[in-house]
Amino acid sequence: MHNVHVNGEDILKRQLDLAGANRRLLEERKVTAISVMGAIGSGKTSLIERMIDRLTGRGLQVGTIAADSAGDDDHQRFLSHGAASINLNTQDDCHLDAHTVDHAMKHLPLDKLDILFIENVGNLICPADFPLGTVNEVVVISTTEGDDMVRKHPKIFAQTDILVLNKIDLADAVGVDPQLVVSDYSRINPHGKAVLTDARHETGIDDLLEALGFECTNTQ
Amino acid sequence: MHEYSVASELINALLPQVETIKGQIVGVILKKGELRILSDQALANAFELLAKGTPLEGARLLVELVPVSVSCSSCGYKGAVDHVSDEAFHFAVPILSCPKCQSEVDVQTGRELFVNRLTVQTPSETDSE
Repeated sequence: MHNVHVNGEDILKRQLDLAGANRRLLEERKVTAISVMGAIGSGKTSLIERMIDRLTGRGLQVGTIAADSAGDDDHQRFLSHGAASINLNTQDDCHLDAHTVDHAMKHLPLDKLDILFIENVGNLICPADFPLGTVNEVVVISTTEGDDMVRKHPKIFAQTDILVLNKIDLADAVGVDPQLVVSDYSRINPHGKAVLTDARHETGIDDLLEALGFECTNTQ
Repeated sequence: MHEYSVASELINALLPQVETIKGQIVGVILKKGELRILSDQALANAFELLAKGTPLEGARLLVELVPVSVSCSSCGYKGAVDHVSDEAFHFAVPILSCPKCQSEVDVQTGRELFVNRLTVQTPSETDSE
């Protein structure tokens, strides 16, 4: 047997190149894109709805890409909040990729947008390996998933710049200590930002916007 | 199960490079960064299935881990990072922070995913073994 050396190019280079092209396009059009990932039912859509309301209240134009395996429920919700939205069904795929996002962006009025939220498929693991070209990534979990979520997925949270723990209003009811999640997170990711929210009751939304780099105007 | 997408990209990237290889490809050595969230077993299974009918059929996918290394722009440190190896986490988790001055760091290695070599068996090698 003998060894044959091959071109050691990154296998996901095509994905990285496409993500780079998306980022350049978004920069050209002066759109700040944010990828929202997280578990099923963690409240990604509700959080985006609240952010749409606040950002449009500040006179900004918001767009969304709503990705789900099937259906257009999230897309309809974003439309009802006045966002320019595109529905994207991934069918059996467990994650979005840069190529799909590129296609979706062609159907959005990018020239008119200031901000684009890309809501990934509800899945904590798979989307992490597929960059989309956004400037920021948020991972959403919620108290109802338990206070051991960070310990169960440490490699994801070690690389997550912004962690949102949603549904903090339900923490007592489900016997979860939000501070335990935050301390687990800061141990493995000392530079990450943890934000506690309750999207239904509008708690922590300004903190999240601030973590994302949007100046707080104290309008709420 | 994004391992199938990754295995598919891997095979598509390799096929043009293996056309001229004489002999049976028996091993594909994949370098995987420590930060990648991919199951070795699921990758190997996906590779085995998707390689069928191609010159890579029958080759084994072997994964070699590339540890995380970083560079720190605050103190100039370059090298490995600390790990949290608390029992609660069940395996050592790399901390993306400077082990010398605790500043933010740039990741230098640990995110790669590439094939750097293949093991090939030619008929003459089989005879001599």
